[in-house]
Amino acid sequence: MTQITDRSMRTAAFKPEADDDMLICRCEEITKGEIRRAVYEGMYEITEIRRWLRVGMGLCQGQTCTKLVQRIVAKELGVSPAQLESAAARGPVRPIEMACMGNEKGGVC
Amino acid sequence: MERYDLVIIGAGPAGLSAAIEAARCGMNIAVYDENKRPGGQLFKQIHKFFGSKEHHAKERGFHIGEELLAEADRLGVDVSLDTVVTGLYPGNEVMIKKGGQVSHVRGDTVLLAAGASENMAPFDGWTLPGVIGAGAAQTMMNLHGIRPGSRVLMLGSGNVGLVVSYQLLQAGCEVAAVVDAAPKIGGYGVHAAKLARCGVPFQLSSTIVRAKGGDHVEGAVIGRMDEHGKIIPGSETEIDCDTICIAVGLSPMNQLARMSGCRMEQNPKKGGCVPVCNEYGETSVRGLFAAGDAEGIEEASSAMIEGRIAGIACANRLGFLEDGKAKEAVESNEQALDTLRQGMFAPKNRGKQIEKTDEGFPVSQHLLVTGFLGDDEVEVYPGVTHPKGLHPVIECTQNIPCNPCQDACPHGCIHIGSFITALPAVEASAECIGCGRCVASCSGQAIFLVNEDIGGGYASVTMPYEFMPLPEKGDIGLACSRDGQAIGEAEVLDVKSVKAFDHTNLLTIRVPAELSGKARFYKAAQQ
Ligand SMILES: Cc1cc2nc3c(=O)[nH]c(=O)nc-3n(C[C@H](O)[C@H](O)[C@H](O)COP(=O)(O)OP(=O)(O)OC[C@H]3O[C@@H](n4cnc5c(N)ncnc54)[C@H](O)[C@@H]3O)c2cc1C
Ligand code: SF4
Ligand code: SF4
Repeated sequence: MTQITDRSMRTAAFKPEADDDMLICRCEEITKGEIRRAVYEGMYEITEIRRWLRVGMGLCQGQTCTKLVQRIVAKELGVSPAQLESAAARGPVRPIEMACMGNEKGGVC
Repeated sequence: MERYDLVIIGAGPAGLSAAIEAARCGMNIAVYDENKRPGGQLFKQIHKFFGSKEHHAKERGFHIGEELLAEADRLGVDVSLDTVVTGLYPGNEVMIKKGGQVSHVRGDTVLLAAGASENMAPFDGWTLPGVIGAGAAQTMMNLHGIRPGSRVLMLGSGNVGLVVSYQLLQAGCEVAAVVDAAPKIGGYGVHAAKLARCGVPFQLSSTIVRAKGGDHVEGAVIGRMDEHGKIIPGSETEIDCDTICIAVGLSPMNQLARMSGCRMEQNPKKGGCVPVCNEYGETSVRGLFAAGDAEGIEEASSAMIEGRIAGIACANRLGFLEDGKAKEAVESNEQALDTLRQGMFAPKNRGKQIEKTDEGFPVSQHLLVTGFLGDDEVEVYPGVTHPKGLHPVIECTQNIPCNPCQDACPHGCIHIGSFITALPAVEASAECIGCGRCVASCSGQAIFLVNEDIGGGYASVTMPYEFMPLPEKGDIGLACSRDGQAIGEAEVLDVKSVKAFDHTNLLTIRVPAELSGKARFYKAAQQ
């Protein structure tokens, strides 16, 4: 997998597009414009964009928007979506209440 | 921490099949599924499956699910339902949540069989209530008995889009159109033909520009796309609908795999980011296996075989099954898998332009674009002949892995041969007794019984019919052509509903003799 490491690759200015206010991550209500803008602000990795905007960190844990975000970022960077590393996956992969996390069978080992 | 020989994540066809194999070898297994019911996607599939006998062809998906469950039960496999697997850690440690509690278990082997999730297609208004995934529509209709809307626009013409569109019609919805960005219908021609003869139009090289409506879908604007995927200005048209169904592909569930640290790859032929597996389904993490849609998007039939292979491999790994026996069992399953992965729609042929069938017949381009075969085109295929008297007419014209029609005929009228993707041919020397088994067994509803001359200038056409209410003998209605247009008057001569036909009714109509090669559907007169 070719990784995007060159941080100086983009020099052009952000150009608004007609559908920038379309929601992409519905759980966290993040629009296409916000994601595109993040790329112009220097975030080229899905993990960075995720931390910055919280895309894919809501109720569905990115099940719906991951591919869409990847496609948008790849298009802005002029690379294929397959070249982007997926965001790190961490447990819990489904949202759980804190009370439940605290209620571990057999205690925390 | 509890410890099992095998922990299975997901009780769909892949997970259950693995559990069955492993239980047969005496392994101590835990199966977790977050649903309230085991069976995964299978319980939504009310249509008859393709394949051959060994793949449960011509059985409806949910029946296959029931058989799997019964077998798992018989072997004492315990499926823990309402149980979410929330993490997969080094050492094959699995974190589960059940009720208000989390706990950890360890598997000496672990199988990822978590299936897939639906892709979404963003367009202006895609978050409006009324825009739903095709899988969600299927869940509403087939599990909960709820009609998702009254007039539905389907985006996506792959098998999922085609099958769900047909089920929407069966549930009493109208399907306004099937729209696809590709210039050709993606799914099986026989599935498309079922829709076309009900009058559903296909709009290809097109996509949804906008969903209309204030607080729910009240219509859609679709537009034609140029070769760069841009909407051609002025090509937009409005479609009246209250529901938009999205069937633009599935993505393997991969969070748990990614968490485990196993090697992953982006593989478009497998539908996205999947673990890299060897021929037994084992990932780069020792003892961690993957099968079914989680290992690569395919079908329930292949998911079951992959599950079996993984189950056998796990048993072998832990010494529950000796090498020789394991090898033999894996090999026979691999053969079964290989026969499924043949034909025009095989994973290896995805994206290829195929102009001729294996036998050298031209592939109908008309079918790929409109969803139905042209009246003349159909004549070239080996399933279409015109002997005197009653005979089958088989409008199955693409190389797909399917052969129940051959097995169904007690008189050897239908020949496919040993290569299951071959086109079915009508044997000139065999005599058809009109039993109708072939018609009912055909998963693609592509077989008709025709008698071109029943006297008085009339012909009879028998067709598979899976709609309610059933027409009655003596009803006068309309004969429809392959594109769903009314072409003449039809009188219902017979309606046959036999238990062995498993809810495929055989409807025989009388039509003017000149329509014998055209009449392929029946509508009640008032519609
Ligand atoms: C509309 C439609 C029509 C289809 N028609 C056909 C057909 O005609 N023939 C055919 O062969 N195939 C067909 N398929 C495909 C088939 O249904 C799937 O390929 C098959 O179900 C995949 O099996 P699986 O076991 O891998 O996954 P699934 O059946 O998806 O099962 C996965 C299970 O894992 C559970 N799970 C997931 N994540 C977790 C977690 N973290 N914790 C606990 N449990 C979890 C899920 O609840 C689910 O029960 C169709 C699919 C669709 C959508
Ligand atoms: S109707 Fe019966 S005898 Fe005739 S082709 Fe079909 S299965 Fe064979
Ligand atoms: S005609 Fe035979 S091969 Fe074709 S879909 Fe029907 S059962 Fe399958």
